[in-house]
Amino acid sequence: MDSLLRTFADQTINGLVIGNIYAFIAVGLALIFGVGNLINFAHGSIFMVGAYVGWVCVTWWGLPLFTAFLVTTLVCALLGVIIERFALYPLRSAPPIAPLLATIGVSFMIDQAVQIIFTPNPQAFPNPLLAYRFQVGGVTVGAIDLLIAGIGVATAAALYLFLRFTQWGWALRATAQDREAAQQMGVDVVAVNRMTFAIASALGGIAGLLVGMYFNTVYPTMSFQATLKGFAAVVLGGLGNVPGAVLGGLLLGLIESYGVAIFGATYRNLFAFVILIAVLVWRPNGIFTNQRRTAPEPLTGTFIARSRPVHIPAWAIAALTVAALALPFFAPNPYLLQILTNAWLLGMVALSVTLVTGTAGQTSLGQAGFMAIGAYASALLTQRLGWPFELSLLASALVSAVIGVLLVLPAFRLRAVYIAIATLAIGEIVNQVILNWDSLTNGAMGITNIAPPSLFGWQAIRPHEIYWFTLVLLILAALVQHRLVRSPLGRTWRALREDEVAAQAFGIDLNRYKTLVFAVAAFIAGLSGAVTGHMYSYISHETFTNTTSILVLTMVILGGMGNLLGAIVGAVALTALPELFRGLADYRYLIYGLTLLLLIRFRPQGLLGTD
Amino acid sequence: MNTASLARTNGQNAASTNPLLELKDIDTAYGPIQVHFGVNLHVNAGEIVCLLGGNASGKSTTMKIILGLVRPRAGAVRFDGRVINGLTTPQIVRLGIGSVPESRRIFAQMTVRENLLMGAYHRRDRHAVAEDYERMLALFPRLKERLQQRGGTLSGGEQQMLAIGRALMGRPRLICMDEPTMGLSPLYVDRVLALIQQINTQGYTIFMVEQNANLALQIAHRGYVLQNGRIVMEGQADALLNDPEIQDAYLGEGVS
Ligand SMILES: Nc1ncnc2c1ncn2[C@@H]1O[C@H](COP(=O)(O)OP(=O)(O)OP(=O)(O)O)[C@@H](O)[C@H]1O
Ligand SMILES: [Mg+2]
Repeated sequence: MDSLLRTFADQTINGLVIGNIYAFIAVGLALIFGVGNLINFAHGSIFMVGAYVGWVCVTWWGLPLFTAFLVTTLVCALLGVIIERFALYPLRSAPPIAPLLATIGVSFMIDQAVQIIFTPNPQAFPNPLLAYRFQVGGVTVGAIDLLIAGIGVATAAALYLFLRFTQWGWALRATAQDREAAQQMGVDVVAVNRMTFAIASALGGIAGLLVGMYFNTVYPTMSFQATLKGFAAVVLGGLGNVPGAVLGGLLLGLIESYGVAIFGATYRNLFAFVILIAVLVWRPNGIFTNQRRTAPEPLTGTFIARSRPVHIPAWAIAALTVAALALPFFAPNPYLLQILTNAWLLGMVALSVTLVTGTAGQTSLGQAGFMAIGAYASALLTQRLGWPFELSLLASALVSAVIGVLLVLPAFRLRAVYIAIATLAIGEIVNQVILNWDSLTNGAMGITNIAPPSLFGWQAIRPHEIYWFTLVLLILAALVQHRLVRSPLGRTWRALREDEVAAQAFGIDLNRYKTLVFAVAAFIAGLSGAVTGHMYSYISHETFTNTTSILVLTMVILGGMGNLLGAIVGAVALTALPELFRGLADYRYLIYGLTLLLLIRFRPQGLLGTD
Repeated sequence: MNTASLARTNGQNAASTNPLLELKDIDTAYGPIQVHFGVNLHVNAGEIVCLLGGNASGKSTTMKIILGLVRPRAGAVRFDGRVINGLTTPQIVRLGIGSVPESRRIFAQMTVRENLLMGAYHRRDRHAVAEDYERMLALFPRLKERLQQRGGTLSGGEQQMLAIGRALMGRPRLICMDEPTMGLSPLYVDRVLALIQQINTQGYTIFMVEQNANLALQIAHRGYVLQNGRIVMEGQADALLNDPEIQDAYLGEGVS
């Protein structure tokens, strides 16, 4: 009993310390959301940069800890200002989803830049403080715990005093509450926005440094997890609510800590995402307020600038299709065929994204989750139950559609930015469940020896065979989708996108049409995932990640939202581009990020125009 | 109402040769939709001028043009002889134009005190701000009782008073008011109108947008009528009040 109590106390301290760090991340996100109405996906990257800057200060330059903190704060604040000035400020009159996507592009670029400079490998962060531990009434407390708590409390106090008693603090609060009214009081809201980025980024950087010290290591991929944890904490406390973000962070830390103690360490990340979805669905304004309605959002589902699609005559499309089908005869280069096969598979996912996001206006950042479901379903059906591939392929796409709809169903009430976060979390949950459901999915080991695709005895093993197989699937999917979006059903989907409220007023049952659109999309994405698994013969929880989801969304924007041909063109372009320039393979995500950023800024309607 | 002095240094009797505010041939459009077609109007120092017009005639857009929140496609806005379209809103506010925005736009989470002081955000003369703050408390006893209350918890009428007080805290040379009586009880409508008249006699120039022509013309010196983005009528307030066309078009509605 006594030891149980001690464990509980230890876990509480542990949870509060981690929660303190989450609070740091969350406060930055909340400030930026409050002032700029922006969900900053680059926040985790700044956090990671903070960890690396601190690490460089301590291990390369041997600076004292205090100086390391100072340098980290300044560098990250500056980085925040640069991001705001060059990536976001030019988008100030674009629809809110545009800056959100821009921050995704920025995060790709920063993450890859850090990987190039410091290698993707984790670096040890020797921390002298870790040696000091105290016994307080049977509970162990480390010097690092005290440091984190101390910095947390001091920062919270400083932030409070700043917001309450300084001219700039007032300007920040006024801007957050009513941007236009603040302007009419003479507040320079552009400057306020930039300052907010500086403060939020400094806080994020400090959090990164603390995490690096606490876990004794820094690595580039810590960025995305931090962003997601920050979202969870912020949503828990209510988007844009700064004190709520602090409480949300602490609460999330505690839940994780107790959860890990009960269920085991691999479950750690699952809690955050389940909480994220649950709160978004049941308490979209956070758990500390009674308001249940989400804040009014200017945008419905409407995405980026409407435009007229570039007209491409039917004969040209037919000619291109024939050319693509005939390619293996003229260019039997296996490497080329392999790249294009990848493009066809991602092209199918791009079709599914362009359907949900472009046609129906429901921004989806979780499409890779549906691929994973399809891939695992088919692998398991063929391996465990001995189903023939033809059957398992269809069945797994259906499974993906059903599970996909069930997962997204609770999020149907959400719109715009909220549905984007929710789908992101859903993609993450799928991978976490795969990781933890050992008996079914083989856990972290993944599934090996998956049979190659086959059709009635004919096996698609050699590059040109699998090329044809995937290309034909893609063409079929495109044809079906083309019919669908031109049908009355397609018209209703577009009505959802234009104005949900009006669509509802016309008697459209929103849930039914959202179910349909997500089902079709998850079906197509599941199909692609299943084939991918059989092609690689190996899948794991790391095969279909959020990075894939975002990459596919970039393809769709590149081609033009809602534009079927555009989705395929975007997939080919982004798959082939880094391969064409061999030397650029290492800079792949730098290219993706930059593409996204430039597109949103200069050609939001994409290459072929939105449809 | 309290009679605390609100005297201004540059007063009423500025010569009327140069208008304080002048809109010249303003065209405005939101994307493909044009809202203003060659709007001309002016406000002399010391005047109360009202801009009348039905729903969606472009009244609020006129306010936003003056404050630099929306940019005209053509034409010029002059304040005190200087072209101000092209300046940012904070710059315009610093030149001396205060605003009581449509539907008040009080900072809901800030206290009444903070709201008032936000009105003086752009001022650097701390002592004078402190004096003005005391004057506001004398002028608005109801606000004085609620200084630590959040702005969002005030009643509509109290919020309107706060919005006017907030604008006065900036010591503007011109106050733009967008429908200051909208949604208020008859009692508060009278109070707000009396207040506007009072601050005008103390030297503030006022340009106000109103749908309720009957009320607005009772306190205004001059008026303009905006219809579908064009000024279709202008003149002295009493002349407009007695104009049969105005009677038909605007005086029927909203009389309390
Ligand atoms: N930000 C905007 N974007 C697009 N159109 C706008 C915008 N603001 C106003 N409009 C349009 O411009 C026209 C004039 O609007 P404005 O707000 O100036 O009218 P108003 O005379 O103040 O109306 P009301 O009496 O209802 O306040 C309206 O048709 C309105 O829909
Ligand atoms: Mg108006």
